Amino acid sequence: MRTITYAQGIKEALVEEMRRDPTVILYGEDVANFGGIFRITSGLKEEFGENRVFDTPISENAFVGAGVGAALTGLRPVVELQFADFLFTTGDEIVLKAGMWRYGHGGAYKIPLVVRCPSGAAGVGPEHGQCPEAFFMHTPGLKIVSPSNPADAKGLLKAAIRDDNPVLYFEHKLLYAAKGEISDDPDYLVPLGKAAIAREGDALTLVAISAMVPKALAVADRLAKEGHHIEVIDPRSLCPFDRPAIVESVKKTGKIVVAEESYRTLGVGAEIGAMLMEEALEYLDRPLRRVAIPDVPIPTATVLEQFVIPNEEKIYQACRELLA
Amino acid sequence: MDRSLKLQIYRNMILSRRLEERIAELIKAGQVGGFMHPGVGQEALQCAAIAALRRDDYLLYAHRGVAYWVARGIPLEKVLCDLAGREGGTNRGKGGVMRVVYPELGVLGESGTLGGCFPIATGAGLSIKVKGGDQAVLCFFGDGTSNRGTFHESMNLCAVRKLPVVFLCENNGWAVSMPTERSTAVRDIADRAKGYAVPGKVVDGNDPEQVYDAVVEALKRARSGEGPSLIEAKTYRLWGHWIGDPDSYRSREEVEKHWRHDPIPAFEEKLAKEGVLTDSMRSEIDAEARAKIDRAVEFMQKQPSPRPDSALEDVFA
Repeated sequence: MRTITYAQGIKEALVEEMRRDPTVILYGEDVANFGGIFRITSGLKEEFGENRVFDTPISENAFVGAGVGAALTGLRPVVELQFADFLFTTGDEIVLKAGMWRYGHGGAYKIPLVVRCPSGAAGVGPEHGQCPEAFFMHTPGLKIVSPSNPADAKGLLKAAIRDDNPVLYFEHKLLYAAKGEISDDPDYLVPLGKAAIAREGDALTLVAISAMVPKALAVADRLAKEGHHIEVIDPRSLCPFDRPAIVESVKKTGKIVVAEESYRTLGVGAEIGAMLMEEALEYLDRPLRRVAIPDVPIPTATVLEQFVIPNEEKIYQACRELLA
Repeated sequence: MDRSLKLQIYRNMILSRRLEERIAELIKAGQVGGFMHPGVGQEALQCAAIAALRRDDYLLYAHRGVAYWVARGIPLEKVLCDLAGREGGTNRGKGGVMRVVYPELGVLGESGTLGGCFPIATGAGLSIKVKGGDQAVLCFFGDGTSNRGTFHESMNLCAVRKLPVVFLCENNGWAVSMPTERSTAVRDIADRAKGYAVPGKVVDGNDPEQVYDAVVEALKRARSGEGPSLIEAKTYRLWGHWIGDPDSYRSREEVEKHWRHDPIPAFEEKLAKEGVLTDSMRSEIDAEARAKIDRAVEFMQKQPSPRPDSALEDVFA
């Protein structure tokens, strides 16, 4: 075991998979010469050459769609978007091409494509600060992962690159510096579609996604001191979604809070709520609580941003309300 | 172009024309559903361009007609089964006739959104370049589609990375009801090539030899690592936008005028003058096409519909 950062986890996954498989390529804006605006990919062009690691013009439609075209013809492209928000500039290529080309053509082709999407509010406002996973949960054909720690960042990215389907890989900008332990196994993979129990407990189920996970763990510590041992579940993958993990936990606790950095309406919590209505209503002894962004764009000034982004206090209050 | 290539292109043009006529009958008789955008009038350029491809090249065809599939050698019965939404086609009822796919012949499929083809073609070109082969990609599109932003982004990306992609514009004068001169600021779409520092060439799309030569030259450039080219083939859509289109937006005089430039009789006349095609060969080729189509229709009519719950398959690999 070693301790690495989340950013290192991402980089190690890229380097290991590119060494392992010559069909893996990496490209995007500023990824080669500059090493990416978040400096995740520095040194990769030097190791793998300009044929496999290169910079693209500001042309998200062309280069994301080219990822689909390259995947259809035998490569495993990893495409970096500078910000997850830029997924909206390339909606056709993500939703209709990556998500539906295989289906529309009767399964004739596989699309082993990974699109890396730096997500999350970090003082960068409405068009650079979103966690837009829920939008893409609504479209068939895309796998979606949102790691919350260095080990998952690495293991999920390696699994995503090896997967034969398009995967949107959401890496939260505020987690890049987060540290954690990781195995030295070069084949350390985290399976897509498998949730993790980040902390076991029986008083309440707290589902937290991406950067909400460290906040949820802090809340769990605080509640433990008050005598409430809650369970924290990190879904890790949003598609496929590990429904049984949540249902099983709710059977034990009877209470659930979902903390996410998406908009409240039709967010991840809304889907979890609907799923529990169908599959576990009889086990819930209190109503579900969602801690999410009220339905407003993400403002830039810190004081405004922090007002809308779920924080420890808001998550704590939601849990306290159900535990009362 | 040698004699056998000319005859091959001619045969494919006839087979395509007869097949579309038959499809129109089937649709009008209510025997098959589905949408078909006929390519009548554009077969010369489609068949000639595809004749220039190697078997291992990639093809992104456009939505206009059957000639792309005929010329690439996809069995007719598979095309008809896709049209009819039956088993026995290429896409299991998932994509209809607009998503005929054939990996063995590099036929990557079709983008339902116009202009979605360009980034996919760019990616296929990228694959070839990364793997170091000398294949090429041929990407068809219409005059209207040249106004999508993806055209600009993809042309530029292919040009800066010198990707082996040939962009072939079929300028048939109309985007459904919108004439090219009202949708498009330049007279020749090929002029846009200058904006990407790549060759842009206008050819008579109703002359198979001009088209073939231009595509051969562009493919040669692509294979030798010099990058993409843009070819604009001027042609005309003789039928409506789809089978059933009331076609009320253009004058009958205009359409009549273009029927006089129908590429099929023009090519027949040329081949006859050159002594390549005799009257008896002509009847033979026509009869052969009709017989092939009869067999394919018969095959299609015997195919079952897909299992309803197969709608849930093919989302993920």
